[in-house]
Amino acid sequence: MRRAQWAPALVVAALLISACQPSTTGGGGAQKPAKLTIAAVQGNEDAALKAVAPLYEQKTGIKIEIVEFPYDQLFEKLVTTFKANSPTYDLVMMDDPWMPKFGTDESLQPLDSTYGIKRDSDIPDVVYDVGTWPPPRGPVPPKAKGKAAHLIGVTIVGNVEMFMYRSDMGPAPKTWDEVKANADKNKKANFWGYVVRGKATNPIVADFLPILWSFGGDVFDSNWNVTIDNAASLKAVKFLVQDLKAAAPPGSESIDAADRSRLMAIGQAYQSTVWPGEITEIVENSTVSQVKGKVSYIPMPAGPSGKGIGMMGNWLLGVPKASSNGQAAADFITWLTSSDTQKTYVDKGGIPARKSILNDASLNQKNPYFAALAKSLEAVPNWRPRTDQWNAVETILGTNLNAALAGLATPEDAVKKAADQIRTLMKGAGY
Amino acid sequence: MANVTARPAPLSRAGAGRFTRQERLAYTMLAPVLGTILVIVTYPFLLAVLQSLQDSAGREFVGPSNYVNALANPLLYEALGATGTYAALVMPTEILLGLGLALLVHRTVRSSSVRALLFVLATIPLVLPPIAVGVIARLIYAPGYGVLNYLLIGAGIVRDEINWLGQPATAMPAVASVDVWQWTPFVYLVLFSGLLTVPREEIEAAQVDGASGWQQFWHIELNYLRPLLLLIVFFRLADVLRVFDHVFVLTGGGPGNTTQLLSLYLYRIEFKYFDSGQAAALAVLVLVGVSIAYSLVTRALPVERR
Repeated sequence: MRRAQWAPALVVAALLISACQPSTTGGGGAQKPAKLTIAAVQGNEDAALKAVAPLYEQKTGIKIEIVEFPYDQLFEKLVTTFKANSPTYDLVMMDDPWMPKFGTDESLQPLDSTYGIKRDSDIPDVVYDVGTWPPPRGPVPPKAKGKAAHLIGVTIVGNVEMFMYRSDMGPAPKTWDEVKANADKNKKANFWGYVVRGKATNPIVADFLPILWSFGGDVFDSNWNVTIDNAASLKAVKFLVQDLKAAAPPGSESIDAADRSRLMAIGQAYQSTVWPGEITEIVENSTVSQVKGKVSYIPMPAGPSGKGIGMMGNWLLGVPKASSNGQAAADFITWLTSSDTQKTYVDKGGIPARKSILNDASLNQKNPYFAALAKSLEAVPNWRPRTDQWNAVETILGTNLNAALAGLATPEDAVKKAADQIRTLMKGAGY
Repeated sequence: MANVTARPAPLSRAGAGRFTRQERLAYTMLAPVLGTILVIVTYPFLLAVLQSLQDSAGREFVGPSNYVNALANPLLYEALGATGTYAALVMPTEILLGLGLALLVHRTVRSSSVRALLFVLATIPLVLPPIAVGVIARLIYAPGYGVLNYLLIGAGIVRDEINWLGQPATAMPAVASVDVWQWTPFVYLVLFSGLLTVPREEIEAAQVDGASGWQQFWHIELNYLRPLLLLIVFFRLADVLRVFDHVFVLTGGGPGNTTQLLSLYLYRIEFKYFDSGQAAALAVLVLVGVSIAYSLVTRALPVERR
């Protein structure tokens, strides 16, 4: 009788346990799974991925399930999933500044040594470098020193921050001085010479770093010493929060990427920095833009250093350590980044990193930013400092820059405060 | 005849266990609820306490140092100040507006279909995701193309755009206004329901005695609303401590740290600084703070009707 009482509970438990098993048609991790689950960012970055995923199912019979999250929630989800070593996702989409955190924590599987993914000469080295950990160039965090470098992520969105301007109204600026001159010249009632993307933390830092680098400044030197308060860096800060702000619309302190593109699209701004996603989604989207065909895209203008330096903002796919479908996940990455698939991917609005596609004349007509993106990649853009502390550094820097932009602090005070806080943070983290 | 003493009927025992059948039944009935509370409340809380005493990697016991670090960080006090300002703006506004609306509708609208329509309209803001509300609010306050500036300039009220989100004097009220829009209907719905419980005879008797509308409210209706006001204050206080999405969308905590509320600060400690120990310590401190605030609110606003 007692056994009979427990029987339903045992059946339920057995069903629950079987439901929690990874779904594979063969049962083993190396065998063909029934589906692959991808954690992706919601927005234009994953639109093309969603569009081509059914093709993979048609080809292989493996269903691709895409679970979308807004930008910040995706990062939180990945941090907690990796921390719990949960096998929920077979593939994860990651913004490139997240790679140091996940690389340092060893949250991802090596794609080269484990699954044989190799570099393709049609894709610039910098694109593979950004998915390699420890970083193949630049300073290496103390925790990653001496470790063998592996490819832990492959770019599927070849974002590089570029520059846009109203080419129907004036010539392309070659330097930031020309940017400032054009901004002053073109500013008039209800039309702004430059749009500063100045919202606190990540937005203002993303807008500022290319200017900082072009002015010869940086956040760290090659030994992780903080240099954001040196003369070159301070000059760059003043250029942003004083010179460019003078030609910018009021409210720069709260402007994010979508506001910037809208101001361009409704014909109220002359120029700004830009990400490829903003171009396809807003500025060149004829349903919302009044300036389609009137805006041109170029690599970052040069600063006093003589160089114009763009910034990487690639989105990568990686395979979490806990995934039991690693081989199938790696096969999907290979398929997605192959030349053939990339043509369809681009047709669906994807942002490629392949040179042959970016330089294709017919595709350039449809995607007016491809040439600038190809040049930006060729010039080897910078990436954000490869430290697992970057999120905190960005928060500190972005809050203080925003305060300077809002006039709550002088540029000098803002960089000093930021530098002091970053030094304390880095020292505490063992740098 | 034997003297039989009345005794309670012996509780049947199915076995040699310590509990009676009724007791076992009671515990069995309670087990799912207690188990759920244990799993979703007690266990995470104990984990948070444990985490607050460990390093950020969760490997070493570090004693109270996370609490010391958390309390020594000046940004915490900026966040507390911002949260206090936000609460001081939204809570009285929402309660007064919600109460005013509830009284107005209760006293002037007799049609049940109009009341039902108002009920539906009041429910809409409550079911909208806060992130969506933030995005809509951004279209209102955004520099350059914001609807509010457009209307103000069009009506000749202001000549130049107001930088709603970029200056401290207006950023916090702008952010708070979104909360007021979303949560005043909640206050209205709760208080309107409370007004429906006030016996008509009491109001009619007061009217016969010549009581004014204000006297009816102060001496009769308020007594019935008092426990609901306590409920509202407690819920809204808890919500204010969790406010995140629309602030994140509108200002990202800026300008500077002006609108970095406690929840946003806590989020950054956990997901930007990856300091899980300090984040857990902050969470425990917040819980203690809320418990104290709750007990103060309960004392200030007794539940018993006078």
